[in-house]
Amino acid sequence: MKRIVFIVACMAVCLSAFSQAKKPTLMVVPSDVWCNNNGYVQIFNNQGMEQTVSDYQQALQKDMDLKLAIAKINDLMAERGFPLKDLEQQLKLVQQQNAESNLVTSKNGNEMAESPIDRLLRVAKADIIIELTWNVTEQGPKRTLTYIMEGKDSYTGKSIGGANGTSQPSFSADVAVLLEEAVVANIDNFNNRLQAHFDDLFANGREVTLDIRVFDNNAADIDLESEFDGSELGEIIDEWLAENTVEGRFSKLGSSENYVSYEQVRIPLFNAKGNAMDTETWARQLRKFLTKEPYNIPVKVMNRGLGKCILVLGEK
Amino acid sequence: MMKKQLFLLLTAVLMCLPMFAGPKNKAKKDTEHFRYELECAGNGTQGTYLIKVWSYSKNKNVATEQCKKNAVHGVIFKGFTGGEGCVGQRALVSRAGAEVEYKEYFDLFFSDKGEYYKYVSVTSSASEIIKVGKEYKVGMIVSIQKDELRKALEQAGVVRGLNSGF
Repeated sequence: MKRIVFIVACMAVCLSAFSQAKKPTLMVVPSDVWCNNNGYVQIFNNQGMEQTVSDYQQALQKDMDLKLAIAKINDLMAERGFPLKDLEQQLKLVQQQNAESNLVTSKNGNEMAESPIDRLLRVAKADIIIELTWNVTEQGPKRTLTYIMEGKDSYTGKSIGGANGTSQPSFSADVAVLLEEAVVANIDNFNNRLQAHFDDLFANGREVTLDIRVFDNNAADIDLESEFDGSELGEIIDEWLAENTVEGRFSKLGSSENYVSYEQVRIPLFNAKGNAMDTETWARQLRKFLTKEPYNIPVKVMNRGLGKCILVLGEK
Repeated sequence: MMKKQLFLLLTAVLMCLPMFAGPKNKAKKDTEHFRYELECAGNGTQGTYLIKVWSYSKNKNVATEQCKKNAVHGVIFKGFTGGEGCVGQRALVSRAGAEVEYKEYFDLFFSDKGEYYKYVSVTSSASEIIKVGKEYKVGMIVSIQKDELRKALEQAGVVRGLNSGF
């Protein structure tokens, strides 16, 4: 019996050793400041408030320098063995998916099931967004390019790191040349920050966010202040998080009887079986815990990517 | 009498031996502590760093020879600062103690005509020579094939690749 346990333990250790963590996706996008300065924006009237949104499609169709900068960064990252998602291709993919979902019907004439939230989520996205900004200053015949490249975690909103600088004044080089030079010169500094972020992820677990909400007038008749054996549901969830995060690391952003929001939640990269884990897989463990005795709470899991998940309690 | 002459001859030969040891050994001795300075000399083309390296030695020829070795060492362990449009870079190896941990690898790597030689080239034969006290400070502009160098270090396990673990 002991021998079997030993063999199983060895296999589990080997599995985790050969497992690969879920790889985050990266995508380069022009920053809002750059889009605004260059007129690539759409202005909406949102209930009396004027709202400006960056128009990536228009920027990619009209600005050659932007295309060159994105292509150069993609090329350099692929060289480092970390190919990026291409913004233009992602936008085309979203358009195609939208067209397909509008046209596809079953043989019986039924359309594909789609909620407004499904449509809202169908956008070009990545786990880490690299925002790119540049500006050319002209002093007489001299041109200087100021360049900012900043990586941001899409789920935590945290800055992963960046690289910035100003080029040497040039009399002859055009913007494309200055921009290419800036990208080539700064990419290593950016990648050093990115590497530090990945090293931290492997050492301390993936940093994610978790939101828990409650369906209004739910059939289970519960909220986060409902009591089980003298403890409120919110406290029970806190305890579960403390036991199921790396070194019990998480922070509570805010809470009420209807919602609780956790951030800086450090989840392990692998589950007990040694399989790679993302936030959804991890949150499903909490769902299983809550659906069992003595809680018996139905839980809806809403995945928002590698680093964010929403659980809604009370119904499915 | 014969024995005494033989002893003197042998002593003289032994004393002369270091004189024929050549500049390589002298260079090795002068640079074994990797005493040098690096500064950014411009933004290199894709895959390269363009740097100016200053080496010290009592023999100016020795310092010139060792500039290449020092430049590669600097890119791996020290990095260099930038300025006036020239972008400074961090060291390829950021982990403290890596030089000691991989001592065997680096001893071979930095041996005379070792692997380091593949990643460095002198961009201009002109060098600056300054007499500082009893020794010379020699400055040269060199180009480092940093992408290839990083790949070699990744293969040796000294640094992690960006996608390792995923």
